[in-house]
Amino acid sequence: MDLELETTKHDRTTVLTVRGEIDVYTAPRLRQAIVDLVDAGSTSIVVDMEKVDFLDSTGLGVLVEGLKRVRTRGGDLSIVVTQDKILKIFEITGLNKAFALHSSVDEALAEPVSGG
Amino acid sequence: MTGPELDGGPPPGLELELPAKPAFVRTARHTVAALARLHDAPEDLIEDIKLAVSEACTAALGRPEGDGGSPREAIRLTAAAEAGRVVIDVIDPAGLFERSVAGAPSDIDTEDLPFDRLLALPLIRGLVDEVAIDPEEPRGVRMRMIVRFDADPVAGSS
Repeated sequence: MDLELETTKHDRTTVLTVRGEIDVYTAPRLRQAIVDLVDAGSTSIVVDMEKVDFLDSTGLGVLVEGLKRVRTRGGDLSIVVTQDKILKIFEITGLNKAFALHSSVDEALAEPVSGG
Repeated sequence: MTGPELDGGPPPGLELELPAKPAFVRTARHTVAALARLHDAPEDLIEDIKLAVSEACTAALGRPEGDGGSPREAIRLTAAAEAGRVVIDVIDPAGLFERSVAGAPSDIDTEDLPFDRLLALPLIRGLVDEVAIDPEEPRGVRMRMIVRFDADPVAGSS
């Protein structure tokens, strides 16, 4: 399965819905999508990974890069994770402490935007 | 082709030679997953195997595509499943494992190395039961990963 990306706007927050597999081949497209959102002025981003079938360290690197990018602009990037296999990857790497992880988009949207 | 002969005999192993290109990493992980599935490995373990294979192959790719370097030799992958375990070797002729995932921290040029590459080995260690990185003859580096699982209880009953 290829990578599919879709953005929807919810007030000040943009939800980036990701479907498919994120690996060394597809991660550059996710990186570019986040860069484009930030360049367009979105600094409150929710990455919805509910439909992500596979995530590796390349994808994690892109998410960390995206988090840094929005935080330097006073925003935040949070992630919706519902599958144990994806959550496990955040836990093994300790990145579950770096990101705000949510179990639904609604929950993520209810969280106030943090950042300096 | 179908036939009962395909169901018998020793467990099939895999030998893959993959161009050192990101597009082929997916092929590697799904092929090894198919082998593990054939041997009744549990689905959650198959997900771990897919990720470990993906990390090892990605590490063997070295620098991201488009760095202007010379074309790379193919990455070799072998996998074999037997009662209760899958053994996977990823052989990188260029020996990039050493630089990207197996080097001492002081040897890793962080200017040159993306953050995600630093995560590869800890991830692999968290996913497989054993991992070893050794020189490969005549050159290159081999990463061997072993994943154990409960053997098929029906086949194993006495």
